[in-house]
Amino acid sequence: MSRLQADHLFKVFGRRPADESAAVRALADGADREALREDGVTAAVVDASFTVEPGQIFVVMGLSGSGKSTLLRMLNGLLEPTAGRVVFDGDDLTALSPRALREVRARRVSMVFQHFALFPHRTVLENAAYGLEVQGVAPAEREKRAAEALELCGLAGWEKSWPDELSGGMQQRVGLARALATDADLLLMDESFSALDPLIRRDMQDQLLVLQKKLKKTIVFITHDLNEAMRLGDRIAVMRGGRIVQLGTAEDILVRPADDYVASFIQDVDRSRVLTAAAVMSPADGPLDPDAPVVGPDTLLADLCALAAAGPHPVVVHDDAGSALGVVQKEKLLAVMGGASAEGVAAGA
Amino acid sequence: MPRLPLGSWVDSSVDWLQARLSWLFDAVSGGITGLYDGIDAVLSAPHPLLLAGILAVVAWWLRGLAAGLLSFAGLALVDSVQLWDEAMATLSLVLVATLVTLVIAVPLGIWAARSKTVSAVLRPVLDFMQTMPAMVYLIPGIIFFGVGVVPGIIATIVFALPPGVRMTELGIRQVDAELVEAAEAFGTTPRDTLVRVQLPLAVPTIMAGVNQVIMLGLSMVVIAGMVGGGGLGGAVYRAIGNVDIGLGFEAGVSIVVLAMYLDRMTGALGRQVSPLGRRALAKARAAASRRSAARLWAHRPQPVTALVGIVVLALAAGGAGFLGGSGPTSTTAAAQGAGHGKKLSIGYIPWDEGIASTYLWKELLERRGYEVETKQLEAGALYTGLAGGQLDFQTDAWLPVTHAQYLEKYGNKLEDLGSWYGPTSLELSVPSYVKDVKSLADLKGKGDRFKGRIIGIEPSAGMMGILKDKVLKEYGLEGEYQVVDGSTPGMLAELKRAYDRKEPVVVTLWSPHWAYSAHELTKLADPKGVWGTGDGVHTLARKGFTEDNPEVGAWLKDFSLTEKQLTGLEEKIQSTGKGKEQEAVRAWLDAQPGLAEKLAPQ
Repeated sequence: MSRLQADHLFKVFGRRPADESAAVRALADGADREALREDGVTAAVVDASFTVEPGQIFVVMGLSGSGKSTLLRMLNGLLEPTAGRVVFDGDDLTALSPRALREVRARRVSMVFQHFALFPHRTVLENAAYGLEVQGVAPAEREKRAAEALELCGLAGWEKSWPDELSGGMQQRVGLARALATDADLLLMDESFSALDPLIRRDMQDQLLVLQKKLKKTIVFITHDLNEAMRLGDRIAVMRGGRIVQLGTAEDILVRPADDYVASFIQDVDRSRVLTAAAVMSPADGPLDPDAPVVGPDTLLADLCALAAAGPHPVVVHDDAGSALGVVQKEKLLAVMGGASAEGVAAGA
Repeated sequence: MPRLPLGSWVDSSVDWLQARLSWLFDAVSGGITGLYDGIDAVLSAPHPLLLAGILAVVAWWLRGLAAGLLSFAGLALVDSVQLWDEAMATLSLVLVATLVTLVIAVPLGIWAARSKTVSAVLRPVLDFMQTMPAMVYLIPGIIFFGVGVVPGIIATIVFALPPGVRMTELGIRQVDAELVEAAEAFGTTPRDTLVRVQLPLAVPTIMAGVNQVIMLGLSMVVIAGMVGGGGLGGAVYRAIGNVDIGLGFEAGVSIVVLAMYLDRMTGALGRQVSPLGRRALAKARAAASRRSAARLWAHRPQPVTALVGIVVLALAAGGAGFLGGSGPTSTTAAAQGAGHGKKLSIGYIPWDEGIASTYLWKELLERRGYEVETKQLEAGALYTGLAGGQLDFQTDAWLPVTHAQYLEKYGNKLEDLGSWYGPTSLELSVPSYVKDVKSLADLKGKGDRFKGRIIGIEPSAGMMGILKDKVLKEYGLEGEYQVVDGSTPGMLAELKRAYDRKEPVVVTLWSPHWAYSAHELTKLADPKGVWGTGDGVHTLARKGFTEDNPEVGAWLKDFSLTEKQLTGLEEKIQSTGKGKEQEAVRAWLDAQPGLAEKLAPQ
């Protein structure tokens, strides 16, 4: 299992290296990046630090221009940080030679792109086998492993097809299979589902979660969609203007937004699909009604609402062992849902 | 603004380069000539129709049955107008030029695609190469590389290189950046990214560049023809010089046939070579197979079938070439004498007396055992080649007046073997149906009838200077007449046009000239003798020629023809038809008993 750590990463684009390091010092002292822009220096990522635990999905969420794609490209060395370190599995990637870095990219980190980036002159199978080809795996072996990866992504039988014969969702499955085929521990996903239409996107998110249960990769996922971030992310970093403004779980961000910027974001979030029964339950203050519906603590509020509305009793929350953890009062449920804006409640109903 | 001596800088640097880098130019020239000769030998070996068949099978394979049949028809047409050898020479020239161009252009384009600096430096250089008129560097080309196909090929390369480089650069640059990033993200080395991703996806654009290179190469063959490149370009140039509209058209159509064949084949090849193109092709074929009528014409053999067809035809071609090859050699084997196969090369401007005397000597010298090569050139190229020693002699120097400028420049590098015909004369002429104009003096006051124009030739020609500076002044024609600068073909075309409509026209002309036998013209008398006494037609040789070839030198010094002999020979050549000059000379000599013995005594 691998662990990824970003340590005070900066990426600054300037005319000269001296400008860039001066800008890093100024930014570290709290300078505004708008002020730097006048000097012809663009600060894309400012002082980003985080740790991704093995098997975690770490989502970086931000609008365009927030620096999230630049941050991602520093994690596999496609871009060299102006300052700071990326430590992966104990290796400082920023200290590696280009050759060693290529080796890391070929074997230990793989990437899934926003517009799929499938090679149009290769079949689906050849695309999926690309990473293995770079590694120098023998043809028979790489075809076998690529076919397995395709099957894992639900594309068995499409090996001989060409990318442009596939729908967007299927193309991205090929992209995912290509990334999985190399057996890399770290998966970088750059807005990988943003180009898909909403139904397919939902489908792909579900599939990623299912795969992740099985494969337990370490994943860094970039998105501009907070709903997607909350659905997928074990932990979420919200970026604005090149800085990480909040780092935490979905619930942290929803319940305790770090600033007005984050707060304005979560207005659009469908709370009923993020918050769980555990977040709204209260201790049972009396005997429990035997007819009351019973749910687990991970049940989403969206599923809870229908049950709560079906009968007069509060819904009981049980743990796996069957012992009661608490009850969900309808009043509390409504109040928490109402914590969002009026549109948020309407969307959740 | 002070005069910047740019021209003399170029002049002296050309001299300097010629002196210091002649070994390099010789090596380049040798390499290209070898390549050209090799390809030409292969293309000329088989019987024309057999090679046409091979090319047609290639077309059938690449594009389908209809393309194959049309290719065969087009190539057969070229053969039937007896321009096959010229067409193969041109094809060889274009192939060599394309090959060399691509060997330079593709790596350069790749380099430019990967480096902004290289791209920025290359751009103005490529612009310069592409827009500089080719004629400007053709003459330096001759000084460096000698007359023949090489300067033509070099000129073609210079002209065709820019699109090759640009299309390669464009093809690589336009590959989706995300694809390149994807390759990098999977740890691909820059070199592998180029080979596995960028080049395969750039192939269609690069092939479009190849196509342009070939087309530009074909557009240069006429210019190459002016510096001894021969082939269809030489035929076109000869046709222009003689206002031979028929030959011009036939040669032009042959160029078109070659151009269309090469264009369609490189287009189809581009689709075959590029992975994406192959896919599109397979798709189209699947769609076409549903329509049976289209299927027949679009039918394409399997590569194996096509290959077998080509090999069989090629073997047949090889066999026939081997057997047929003994034909022409037997005639040279019959020649014996003092020459012992020594090689001589004669240059000529495609003027009637030049063609006649050149082929006369080719025939005479071959009878005496020499191996003679003739090269058709533009006047400037001819003198440059002679001075540079790439040609041995030429028989059509009008001295001391008309070609004085060339003698001034190259006189010390040439040997004058004396005049063999003369005197020639320069004159203004009018059609004989203009009854009342017999002398230059008669032109006065009739400017309105001739629209105040005298149709001239190239402004650089010696006689144009005499006309403007002296003749008009002496006869008081200044102001009334304007001398129209142009070209010899232009003047002849204008004469023909006016003559056919019986319009009055005054043209600058000289004797001997075939125009006098083609049209009824009046040479305007020059009572004041302003035009001068006239030239002799001289034979000029390269410096040291008579020392190297005392026998031939002596023959050429004694060479002379009467007007009756010359016009008779010219007429015989005209009536026998183009491309058969030597046959005509042979027949004419046979009718002149003892002449061959007199001209080149054994």
